[in-house]
Amino acid sequence: MISLVLLVPIIFCIIMFFAKNKILNNVFINIYALLHLSVGLGYFIKPMQFANNQYFELNSSNIIFYLILSVIFLAVAIYNNGYSKNLNFSDKKIMHYATMLLIFVVSMTGGILSNNLGLAWIFIEGTTLASAYLIYFNKTKHSIEAAWKYVFICSIGIALAFVGIILLTVAEGSLNSLNYADLINNAQSFNHFWLNVSFVFILFGLGTKMGLAPVHFWLPDAHSEAPSPISALLSATLLNCAFLVILNVYKVILAANCYAYARIVLLVMGFLSLFVAAVFLYHTTNYKRMLAYSSIENMGILAIATALGGIAYYALIIHLIGHSLIKASYFLTSGNILELFETKKIKSVRGLIEIDKKTSWLWVASFLGICAFPPSMLFMSEFITIKAMLIQKHYILCILFLFLLTIILYAMAKVVIKMVFGQKSEEKFEIAEKNVSKITFSMYFPQVILLTLAFVLGIYLPEFLDIVIRNTIVG
Amino acid sequence: MENGFIILFGLTMLYLSATSRLIAHVKTIMVQGILLFLICSTAFSHLPWYTIAFLTIETLLVKAILIPLFLNKVLKKTHSNRDTDANIAHFYCLLISSIILFGGFMLSVVEIPSLTMINPFCFGIALAVIIISLWLITIKHKILSNVIEFITMENGIFLLSLSVAKEMPMLVNIGVLLDVFIAIYILGLFVSQINTELGDMEVAHLSDLKDCEYND
Repeated sequence: MISLVLLVPIIFCIIMFFAKNKILNNVFINIYALLHLSVGLGYFIKPMQFANNQYFELNSSNIIFYLILSVIFLAVAIYNNGYSKNLNFSDKKIMHYATMLLIFVVSMTGGILSNNLGLAWIFIEGTTLASAYLIYFNKTKHSIEAAWKYVFICSIGIALAFVGIILLTVAEGSLNSLNYADLINNAQSFNHFWLNVSFVFILFGLGTKMGLAPVHFWLPDAHSEAPSPISALLSATLLNCAFLVILNVYKVILAANCYAYARIVLLVMGFLSLFVAAVFLYHTTNYKRMLAYSSIENMGILAIATALGGIAYYALIIHLIGHSLIKASYFLTSGNILELFETKKIKSVRGLIEIDKKTSWLWVASFLGICAFPPSMLFMSEFITIKAMLIQKHYILCILFLFLLTIILYAMAKVVIKMVFGQKSEEKFEIAEKNVSKITFSMYFPQVILLTLAFVLGIYLPEFLDIVIRNTIVG
Repeated sequence: MENGFIILFGLTMLYLSATSRLIAHVKTIMVQGILLFLICSTAFSHLPWYTIAFLTIETLLVKAILIPLFLNKVLKKTHSNRDTDANIAHFYCLLISSIILFGGFMLSVVEIPSLTMINPFCFGIALAVIIISLWLITIKHKILSNVIEFITMENGIFLLSLSVAKEMPMLVNIGVLLDVFIAIYILGLFVSQINTELGDMEVAHLSDLKDCEYND
């Protein structure tokens, strides 16, 4: 089954390459999205079928990450049906877009399913290759700048992560394996000094890909310049892939019982991410960049929850799910706004509610979700994170956390309210009214599903999902 | 013998720091590739034959021939000759690189009990090369210089992986090759595209995207 998920898209890519047909591209993307989700759900029926593979495995520790990728990819595939109709490019270029999209998803899938650190690293590097083209897709001066920064900064980050892997093999001593299970089982005998040094390299290296401050510089540019479905995938799934690898290495650190230093580094990077997000969101002038900084903020919260441990691990997984669902919806809705107003400038988008009510309410609901208004899943996760800080008597950190979140909430609320309910400008209003017909049903539907999931799961978490989350923490 | 090659490999970084001519940078990359080939051929007889074969072919073919050829082609296409606007004068650049390299030598001389699994000499030089490359990336202004320093950093990481005195999994070798792939295809491709789009190879021209107002 795992081979199916990794090989089918390659076959699709070959057919698409020769066919160069827009409809066929969309059909293959949708089929692969459904197949991807079906395989994920198949895990709950026959879990043993997905284990015992030499290199790839679907197990309790990565199933949540896989399912998030499946759901978001399906939503993006549905959105893409409407979005691709508005792309005025040649069949060849659309084929390149579809092919790279599939390669991007298959790289992320490989990264999630890998049970070997070296292999996961290769797939993470593969995501850079595929997504660089997608960021550069519009071929404008700005998109090439964003793609260049993305490739260059991420390549350096990944290279540093590779140094971390080399140092991890030094820490291993006589063990000669990068398999996660082997690493965790033998962690007690590892050299603590080299293990800590390797973690710092891996955290900084893959933290670049994850978008943690101070190595986040590519993220606002790439997220704002990529086509909106790609921005949704970058923010809601790619960052998770990098985080999964960091989490797996952190589990080795925990098993080796030398986590004190790693916790401090994670906390520092987490709070720094919140600080950077708060400062830049306050002055933001571009709504897609606003969403990118919000991703940096949420990655910071994930790092903080990882460092806190205990009940914060539960919050971590809830936050991961909630952020992915809501942020994907937010980015897809930003795609609708961009189609309508043909600009990413906040000051040029006013009176959205008078032009497109559905997009407006999706924009507001995504904002409420991402800013953790109950019953959003993020409310639950942030509440538990704060509780964990109080239990561990980190009072100052708790105040700082709340203070930075309040600034972020204020900054985003200001923008969203102005964009939706602000005084309309006639010039932009006319352009937007002409473009309303471009927004089809498939460009609203996925966001509705994603937001419904995020809000319903915030109130009621089914028992099976609760068990999966608990197993992810233990695994 | 191999220590001599490793020292020469470290010294190439000093040459890279002291010169502004991009063609000299490309030649340095070629020399580094040849030195890495010689290091692989002479120093790692404890590795299985297929690993040695893979490493020697990779270093000679990719690092010493293909990458320099490719970069040379890009140089001609973009008519780039010199990177004269570095943030720091070449003399100070050379001085700082020398200090970092000296630090690398010192690290290899100091006996650290936990450094049992690695060849300290190789490790110290490799670390110095990585740090010098990262530092040069921050001070150079030409995009092509940044690509060249990225490749020297990759070479440093390659030497670092060789410094681990045990059989590295084949996977790691594939990882190194993939990095080379990134260097050639993506960076090379983007360099050409940037030149076509912007008509220049200055990093300063890639600073339009910012958080204040700009035309989208």
